[in-house]
Order: sequence, then C-alpha cells, then structure tokens
Amino acid sequence: MRINKDLKMAEVIHMNHHLLPVLNRFDIYLGFGERTVEVVCKDHKINLNFFLEIVNTFHDPTYFPLRHLQSFKASMLIEYLRKTHSYYLDVKIPEIGQYISEIVQCSGFEENHRNLVKNFFDQYRRELTNHINKEEQGVYPYVLRLEKVLDSPRSSQETFDDLHKYSINEYEEDHDDVESKLFDLKNILIKYLPPVSNYKLLNLILHEIFELESDLNNHGHIEDLILVPIVENMEKEFHSRFANHGSNV
Amino acid sequence: MSNRICILLIEPSFLIREGLKTLLSSQGQPYRIEEFDAPVDDLDKLVNRINPDLVLLNPKLVIRLINLPRRNENIFEPYYIGLIESDAPTHIKGKFDQILNLDAEKSELNKIMEKSLRLIHNGNSETENTSLSEREISILKLVALGNTNNEIADKLFISAHTVMTHRKNITRKLGIKTVSGLTVYAILNQLIKLEEVQGV
Ligand SMILES: [Fe+2]
Ligand SMILES: [Fe+2]
Repeated sequence: MRINKDLKMAEVIHMNHHLLPVLNRFDIYLGFGERTVEVVCKDHKINLNFFLEIVNTFHDPTYFPLRHLQSFKASMLIEYLRKTHSYYLDVKIPEIGQYISEIVQCSGFEENHRNLVKNFFDQYRRELTNHINKEEQGVYPYVLRLEKVLDSPRSSQETFDDLHKYSINEYEEDHDDVESKLFDLKNILIKYLPPVSNYKLLNLILHEIFELESDLNNHGHIEDLILVPIVENMEKEFHSRFANHGSNV
Repeated sequence: MSNRICILLIEPSFLIREGLKTLLSSQGQPYRIEEFDAPVDDLDKLVNRINPDLVLLNPKLVIRLINLPRRNENIFEPYYIGLIESDAPTHIKGKFDQILNLDAEKSELNKIMEKSLRLIHNGNSETENTSLSEREISILKLVALGNTNNEIADKLFISAHTVMTHRKNITRKLGIKTVSGLTVYAILNQLIKLEEVQGV
C-alpha cells in the first residue's frame, strides 16, 4: 500500500517500522499522536511531496517516482542524502564495528579468525567512507552549484567554465555499488563462521547488517534513479540557456 | 543467490505489466522491479543503471534496437525475455534469450517464466550442484591469494574466459562476490593459510 498524506504517521510506522531512521533524517521523531503525514510535515516545514516520494521509495522498492520528481529541488535531495551518509558513518558503522570487536573476543571465536573478520569489516568501512567522501566532495557540490546558477545566473565566468566541464554522466558511470562486501559478510556469518558462544550478539550483528544493506540499497537507488535524472534535466536547461557562457572546452 | 532478483520491465501496456507481475509473483521468487511504459532512448544506459538480472522487454519501446546490452566484464549478465507477438520478425526474436509470446496460454507462460527464473538462479547452468569442484577450489585458492584472472589462466593453462566462468560459479555457490570475501572464506575453510595472504 502506498503511503499518502492522509495516513496517520503512527499508521505509517505500523506499516513499516524500518522507516524510523528515514523519518529521523527529516528530524521527525516518535510521539506522533493522531497527526497525519500531512500535518507532521507541515509542523516540521517539510515539503510534503518530497517526503512522500522518499518514504514510498523506501517502503516499496518497486515504486518508481521518476515522473513526479520535477516538483522539488535537487538541494533537498542532497540534504537528505547527506543525512543518510552521516547516519551510516556516524551511527550504523561504528555501532556494527563495536559489536564486531565484541563478538571476536567471545569464547568459541577462534584466535585465528579474530583479525580476519575484524579486518574485513574495517576494509568495508574504508570502502564506504571513500565512496561517501567522493560524493560529498565531488558530485554533490557540483549539483548545488548548478542549481544556484540556474536560480540566479549572475555567476563568475569560472563557475560557468567549471559547470561546462563536468557532467552527471561521469558520476553515473563510475558510481559503484557499496553493498558487495556487506553481502559477503552476511554469508560469511550465516554460512561459514563456526558457531560462537554469544549467539545473541551474532544475531544482532546479522540483523544490523541486513538493515544497513537495505538502507544502502535504497540510498543507491535514490542516487541512480532520482538524483541522476533530475540533474540530467538541470544540465539540459543549463546548456540551452548558457550555451555561449562556456569556454569552448 | 538467496537475494531478491532485480527485474527491469519495459512494456507500454498497463494490463500486460500487471499480468506479468502476477505471473512473476506466482513463482514464489522474491524480486524487485523497475517499470517503464515509455520509449527508452538509451537501453545501454538504463541497463547499466539498474543492473537487472532479468529484462522483460517489448522491443517496440526501444528506439533503434541494434544489440541488447551485454556486459562481459560483469559477473552477472542480464537475461533477456522479449515481449513479442508470435508474428514478429526472426531477426528481432533472435536477439533475446527467451521469447514470451503475449498471446500464449497461462500454462505456457508459467513454464517459460519458471524456466527463465531457474536459469537466472543457477547462473545459466542447469546443474543444481552447490559444493565446489576440485577445479573451482584450485581457482578459489589462487583468487584468494591475490591472482588476477589472467594470472590464473596462465598458471592453470586455461583461457581467461574459462576462469571467468569458474568464478561466476564459485560466487553463485558460496554467495560471496568480492575477492576479500573469498579470501576470508578460503581461510575459514583452511584452503589457504592466513600467513600466505597479505593485507587481510
Ligand atoms: Fe551516497
Ligand atoms: Fe553512492
């Protein structure tokens, strides 16, 4: 079922509690009372359509929002994506990392395997951090600059030159998925690691990895299928409006 | 893979799309789907973006259909099903791995869908063997020790293409995609020793 503006926010969470961290990224926290989605969004000064697109994409992976996207700004999306990044790097990854350092110390965990699992996760952490840094330092600032120029074209020649030099297709082409290692880690824990004494903690780790994996999936989905098309449209507009502001590169 | 498969559906008719989803759901294989009902001008790009396991495609919606995007460097190729009427020209039909005739009967449609999903599941091989063969184990060891496909091909006197096929099968059987994941597997199963690998 699709989430719409007239549903109560409490019902939304009953429908899919995995949406909680998504709501948190909008600075929405529990304690909704009887308020509807529309009212909660209004209270928090959140663009209702944008909110609905994001939660529906998360709730139903078959939901393809492309057609309704023109109504909100790329900067909104970037803000959301950045918050998601910091949720991964500042909350989830340290949390799972902490659990992993605990689990490798528990009895039943073979001495030889301790560093193996820990290092695998550390490698993953580095990979994800690099991926995110690259986006936050490269493509996101580019999109924000592009939006700014389209909103108020009084910019320096340098800005125009820079914008002419880059295209979102470059991002799209080398945007790799960051879930592969997580996928592997899941199977290592499920299938190949010998049983350990603290099985509850191991269950918890696995659960966290599943959650993170599907959140990352959704995040990549938003980047590839929402951000890229929006920016493609912005680039079209940019090139048709400012064709002669370029430096012929 | 125990994972959900990813399906790309390109078909103008709403009823046919809904019908196909019903057909898919009745197979009991979890999936996620991206749907398009309008002409696609760059199929390559779309396939690269979505990275589907299965593409259900009505060729009418592709402008200039020359070749279907195949990605050799990728471990998992998409499997293409053409959504076509029975009188479509053979050169169009020939591009697809499978044709789904839109006026076929239910049992026929079910059979084709079931077969296609099974092929995707088993990485295009009919065998359902899940333990690694001797050859796969020797290749896995070399991968875990950091050899590239070409180095492995040289060492075992086989083609790089054959190495690739083995690697696909290893990944499918174990559910492990990355080199470092395979290394962890190899150490856990004492195929190689921790001291033999660097940087693990
Ligand atoms: Fe990202
Ligand atoms: Fe990304």
